[in-house]
Amino acid sequence: MRMRQAWAWLGPILLALVALPAAAAEYVALPGGSFTSVLPADGKDAPAQVAPFQLRREPVTNAEFLAFVKSHPQWRRDKVASILADARYLTQWAGPDAPGEQALPQQPVTRVSWFAAQAYCESEQARLPSWYEWEFAAAADATRRDARDDPAWRESILGWYSRPSNAALPSVGGTSNAYGVRDLNGLVWEWVDDFNALMVASDSRDQNDPDILKFCGAGALSLQEKDNYAVLMRIAMLSALKAADTTNNLGFRCAKSE
Amino acid sequence: MKRLYLCFAAACFTLAACSNKPAPPDQTTATPSASTSVASERGDFGPPQGEPIHAVLTSPPNVPPPIHRNYPAKVIVELEVVEKEMPISEGVSYTFWTFGGTVPGSFIRVRQGDTVEFHLKNAPDSKMPHNIDLHGVTGPGGGAASSFTAPGHESQFTFKALNQGIYVYHCATAPVGMHIANGMYGLILVEPPEGLSPVDHEYYVMQGDFYTTGKYRQKGLQPFDMEKAIDENPTYVLFNGKEGSLTGDNALPAKTNEKVRLFVGNGGPNLISSFHVIGEIFDKVQPEGGTHPQENVQTTLIPAGGAAIVEFRTDVPGSYVMVDHSIFRAFNKGALGIIKVDGPEDKTIYSGKEVDSVYLGDRAEPNLQAVSTAAKAHAAGTLTQDEQIAAGKQLFTGTCSVCHQPNGEGLANVFPPLAKSDFLAADPKRAMTIVTHGLSGKITVNGHEFDSVMPPMAQLNDDEVANILTFVLNSWGNPGGRITKEEVAKARAAAPAAPAAEH
Amino acid sequence: MKYLLPALAMLWLLLGGVARADTPLPGDSVYQLPVQLTDQDGRQQPLASRRGRPQLLTMFYSSCQMVCPMIIDTMRMTRNALDPAVRPRIDLLAVSFDPARDDVATLHDYAAKRKLAPAIWTLARAEPSQVRQLSSVLGLQYRQLPDGDFNHSSELILLDADGRIAARTTVIGRIDPAFIEAIGKVAAVRDGEE
Repeated sequence: MRMRQAWAWLGPILLALVALPAAAAEYVALPGGSFTSVLPADGKDAPAQVAPFQLRREPVTNAEFLAFVKSHPQWRRDKVASILADARYLTQWAGPDAPGEQALPQQPVTRVSWFAAQAYCESEQARLPSWYEWEFAAAADATRRDARDDPAWRESILGWYSRPSNAALPSVGGTSNAYGVRDLNGLVWEWVDDFNALMVASDSRDQNDPDILKFCGAGALSLQEKDNYAVLMRIAMLSALKAADTTNNLGFRCAKSE
Repeated sequence: MKRLYLCFAAACFTLAACSNKPAPPDQTTATPSASTSVASERGDFGPPQGEPIHAVLTSPPNVPPPIHRNYPAKVIVELEVVEKEMPISEGVSYTFWTFGGTVPGSFIRVRQGDTVEFHLKNAPDSKMPHNIDLHGVTGPGGGAASSFTAPGHESQFTFKALNQGIYVYHCATAPVGMHIANGMYGLILVEPPEGLSPVDHEYYVMQGDFYTTGKYRQKGLQPFDMEKAIDENPTYVLFNGKEGSLTGDNALPAKTNEKVRLFVGNGGPNLISSFHVIGEIFDKVQPEGGTHPQENVQTTLIPAGGAAIVEFRTDVPGSYVMVDHSIFRAFNKGALGIIKVDGPEDKTIYSGKEVDSVYLGDRAEPNLQAVSTAAKAHAAGTLTQDEQIAAGKQLFTGTCSVCHQPNGEGLANVFPPLAKSDFLAADPKRAMTIVTHGLSGKITVNGHEFDSVMPPMAQLNDDEVANILTFVLNSWGNPGGRITKEEVAKARAAAPAAPAAEH
Repeated sequence: MKYLLPALAMLWLLLGGVARADTPLPGDSVYQLPVQLTDQDGRQQPLASRRGRPQLLTMFYSSCQMVCPMIIDTMRMTRNALDPAVRPRIDLLAVSFDPARDDVATLHDYAAKRKLAPAIWTLARAEPSQVRQLSSVLGLQYRQLPDGDFNHSSELILLDADGRIAARTTVIGRIDPAFIEAIGKVAAVRDGEE
């Protein structure tokens, strides 16, 4: 009797200890819907259809990524294949499995490649958000679900993009937006699953250029809503990257389908 | 046997390796190779020769030295994009995005026909991806398509500089206007094969318009304002990215009797420049950077995304101010720079101020109130002698006092006195004709002889004459009395025609 | 005695082959990515099992009307333009962007219609998340449209025997001489030599 009782106590405690890192990741449910994206779905003007999904409340932090690297040592910076992460992968950490003083636990993890981000999300039974899911969630400010028509709001986001990223990153946990998601604008760039589907011309003045063969019948994507410069810059950034690339100010968060 | 096999293997390997070796460059050819392709019309002088050259890039306002080479070469250009906060005006800073750490970006100098291997690096601290469009490149996007570079990465592409000229380069990443507005522009000079004529100084100046949310000279770090940029309403219009970049200690130095060449670009993003150097005339201008120069130009237009080459010879010392002659930009938004010329004066070309004398104008007395009072009174028919005297006094000061002196004393041996004048007292009415028709010949006034010419005061009308004479008669011990306008009119008509007025 | 030389050569080749299987996979090899492929005959194999022979590789989808037929034709043309000694040393692999519609039967029909001999050609599908990973590691882009078609970039990619990307070409519809030369070089490197 007493043994069973002891196990009854021990069980949940052990479970809690094991589950602790996973419990730290909070996901928020978003309703989805029809959404006017900067990248029209059919290349002309069709709105995007976003199915209901869950999004991580905050970007993945150094502490969380450290736990991942410890349990998946093939993703240590001294072990990872160069085709999956470039030479600057996690170099802001003091050691391969020790972030050190410069990379605080609650700061968003940066210098991670798309492959590494994907692998992390898989370890959380999740995936990277699609561009549309990300854009959908990021259109909200603190009170409105779609604040994109407000020039003041657009200007404030643009302000972040104009500042270089040589200052230390703040911790995650800024103001929630109307969906309850934090830090989508103003902290770090974030990977999306289909970053290599953002097939904009690398010379952005070439929009509507009829190089039809290049992308099998469509030419490069033309961008709608050219006033939303912050989003354009985000697309420019993602389309400049390859899957193994890392940068100082690029992190990620995960998503789950409903 | 094994040795034979190994030799065979070794031979195969060597053969395979040999077939890959490129032909060594021909170092002896100095003249451009003949070619029938269209590209040679513009400057395709054949493949690069000699060792690759690492281009010397300079920060503004300096220019790399002229190229002394008579064959096309491979030139390697390495340019880094750096995003940094720098002062834009006194106490005001701005986050610039730069090529090479400066606004404008580094100056690139190559020769027509060169094959340029371009390396664009984006500093790891950059937040944005960047690329480059060089207006001197013949190829899609001017290189922009091939140089899209994420932070912490480097892109490379190669182009042949087919056309000579001075060309703008700038970033073309979305949103393009913002990248240019933040300072991502510079100049690349493609020298003609024979080079440019020698001068004493070459300088690099580039105009740009800047858009901040704060007002002109509002202190602190100012963010970029997209609305103002779209409205084409700049806060600053500057040479070389900073107010004062070319003034004071940073003025461009030269000496007298030197030839100065300016490579002047306009990055925009929006404004066209009316470039002028105050006090100088451009002896030679290559407008829009084209090949055929214009001469003797005062102000030259430089389009946004364009450039020009101007040359002038310095003659006299002084500070010569470069401006955008859309003049409020120069004095209220900062489009101002200085060329400081030192050396000996040359008065034959420019004398400086020679005379500073009093100029009274037609009516020296600023307050002509009495004159207008008298005129009104006369029109109303109520003109009094006192009003006439008051008016006459003001008019006298403007016209007669120059010679007869303000107190009527005259000038010994030159101008007769009017004060206590016996000549005047003898016949006051005679004075009317003297004023309207002049007087020459010998006269004696107060015991002194005068033999001068008084020109007719034909610019005075009848009531002005009447008022002046009334004043004179009632001043300085003269007998008094009054002259009316009607009397003057009669006296004027009665006298023989006066010669043309000389005053 | 006259058999000694060929015997030694065979032994040397064999040893070379064995030795290479033990050498660690290079960090920049595409085979670092664990992708599971199912081919037009239903056989399942990891992508990494193709290590040991150079691969001529592309991505396509069967209902693509415009460029994909040209891509397949270009691969065929490219193989035919190779030196006869080089031709049998490379494998051709085309992976679908569209695993939802390109099941094994569809791939089989496609190969039959276009006369793609299974000894030479592998048409394969993988799970959607792995398709995205494979395209990322190869540097290919694709995007699904609302009507089910895809926009995608079109390239032929050459992997060396160890899975490193040795060359690539965007020339579709005709031969790219530089690419042919690259294949010749990669395939000419004798087994066991680096």
